[in-house]
Amino acid sequence: MTTTSTLTKAGKKRRSSKREQREVMWFFFFISPWLIGFVVLSLVSLVLGLLTSFTNFDGFNLSTLKWVGLSNYARIFSDRDALWGLQRTTLYAILYVPLALVISFTLAVLLNQRIRGRGFLGGIFYIPSILPVVAVAWMWKLLMSRNSGLVNAFISLLSPGTAINWLSSQYATAVLIFLSIWMGIGGGVIIFLAALQGVPKELEEAALIDGATRFQMFLRVIVPLMTPIIFFRLVMGIIGALQVFTAPLLLTSTNSGLTIGTMPPRANYMFMVHAVQQTFAKGRYGYGAALVWMFFVLILVVTLIVFRSQRYWVFYEVEQEGGEA
Amino acid sequence: MSAFTGRQTLTVARHEGNAGRQKRVGQILLYTTLVAIALLFIVPIIWLILSSLKTETEYNAYPIRILPRVWQWKNYFEAVEQRRGIRGVHQYVGWALRSLGLCALNGIPDVLVSAMVGFGFARQRVRVRNLFFTVMLSMVMVPGLVTTIPQFVLFTRFHLIGTYWPWLLWGLASTPYFVFMFRQFFASFPKELEDAAEIDGCNRLRVFWQIMMPSAGPVVATCAIFSFQGNWGDWFAPTLFLTGDKQTMAMALANAYQDPAGNPMVVQTMAAIVLFIIPTVIAYFLGERRIRESAITSGLKG
Repeated sequence: MTTTSTLTKAGKKRRSSKREQREVMWFFFFISPWLIGFVVLSLVSLVLGLLTSFTNFDGFNLSTLKWVGLSNYARIFSDRDALWGLQRTTLYAILYVPLALVISFTLAVLLNQRIRGRGFLGGIFYIPSILPVVAVAWMWKLLMSRNSGLVNAFISLLSPGTAINWLSSQYATAVLIFLSIWMGIGGGVIIFLAALQGVPKELEEAALIDGATRFQMFLRVIVPLMTPIIFFRLVMGIIGALQVFTAPLLLTSTNSGLTIGTMPPRANYMFMVHAVQQTFAKGRYGYGAALVWMFFVLILVVTLIVFRSQRYWVFYEVEQEGGEA
Repeated sequence: MSAFTGRQTLTVARHEGNAGRQKRVGQILLYTTLVAIALLFIVPIIWLILSSLKTETEYNAYPIRILPRVWQWKNYFEAVEQRRGIRGVHQYVGWALRSLGLCALNGIPDVLVSAMVGFGFARQRVRVRNLFFTVMLSMVMVPGLVTTIPQFVLFTRFHLIGTYWPWLLWGLASTPYFVFMFRQFFASFPKELEDAAEIDGCNRLRVFWQIMMPSAGPVVATCAIFSFQGNWGDWFAPTLFLTGDKQTMAMALANAYQDPAGNPMVVQTMAAIVLFIIPTVIAYFLGERRIRESAITSGLKG
């Protein structure tokens, strides 16, 4: 009796571990394309980039390659262009991210009222975000053009004779922010709208019965319920805004043709623009790698801080024990 | 439509008295605000289309002309016929075909492979699964340039710059966002389905390909549209990884056409830009509902 039961147990164990092995094998079979791609394309690139950042690599000098330690990183702090780029990028992010959040949230709240054509209007706000950035940059160049632009025409109706050079350094960041908002809020609008529609009606009614005004109800009930989504959009917005690169480049008006190495107006000389300039235009691969790696760490730190701030302002629905109270 | 709303407002206001009237006024105000903002939102697109239908002189006129005197539909023909390339084929056709080619070369393997990886993450109960999934999603945090620059160096070493290989390689490596969507979808299937299939002697690959994949049409379509829009509009990767003789639509149209004297031909370029955005708009409307839904679920679930 004992022996047979031991036998079957062992058999079961062997069978189950064999089964487990098969599961593991199939798992790796299915994820292998990603895993190989991740190792070959991402992991190797990450390591290679990090190693490069400690060398004097210029794209060709493999025979005279030298380990320079942290000197590339030290150089960033005395590189005026890098610090300027950091400053402009920070300013851009600080203006764009909150503005985009507030505008998309407000539009979602407005759309959430009982109105006709909600879907259609939501669609209009979403369309800019599916357009290629090359086309969007052209649209804004046309609108903001000094002589033939619609915006200046409108302004000169109010104060005749003004012709603002929007794409010059003085205003280029403002135009970049307009463009980014125009292109960037669509996703936020539909996400906030969906979340607002998910707020239980009873909750609103209960607050109103308790004597809250509609505005109080909005501020104390609706907004807290939205904070997890606001938080998510905030994190994604910051990560995206700090990396801004293509839009400032394409927004540049130049006669010599837009390329990777195009120099945007000084005001739109963002950090990533500087990194690309150094890497590809100047051939400083080592320094360029140090620039992007430092920035990567900076983005991680900022993200971490925002994550830490959650407990002060983000409300997560607490799961109640023992069913509904 | 507005007349209808107006009449309705009147009758309702008469019935509901003061409070009702206030409510209605609020509603009209809200509606006006929203429509005004929406109009403001489409101005850039309208202005692009209007510009593409003017003459160059009208485009440059100061003070500006809002509408063209005669609608210059010929700009669209000139946009396509600009610059004859090799063997008399219009360069525009070449750009379009190259952009489409890259969309297919990257998009088709990308969607299929992402489905496969998503299936692995959804259906294989393995202890290390969550670890790998977290690693995959955390790559979203890494700025693109951190990996792109070393990749450029690597691809240069292997003589892949100026070829279409990178697009195939990126496609075969799958895309985290697509994997995520497929995983969500495949995770919703009942376990019994798999068990039944296994008893019938199906191996995992057949469970994936013959049982689950046939109903994944909506996810495939959504990913295909996202992939198409990403590749079609991408300017950075082709500019960096291709050479000047292999221009895509986005690369070529970043700069204005020039006449033989070197002056910019803005109106024809704008016509080309309008043609350039039409496919992305069509793709969006083809999958509008699903695109919005997936934007919402990925946004809400984080």
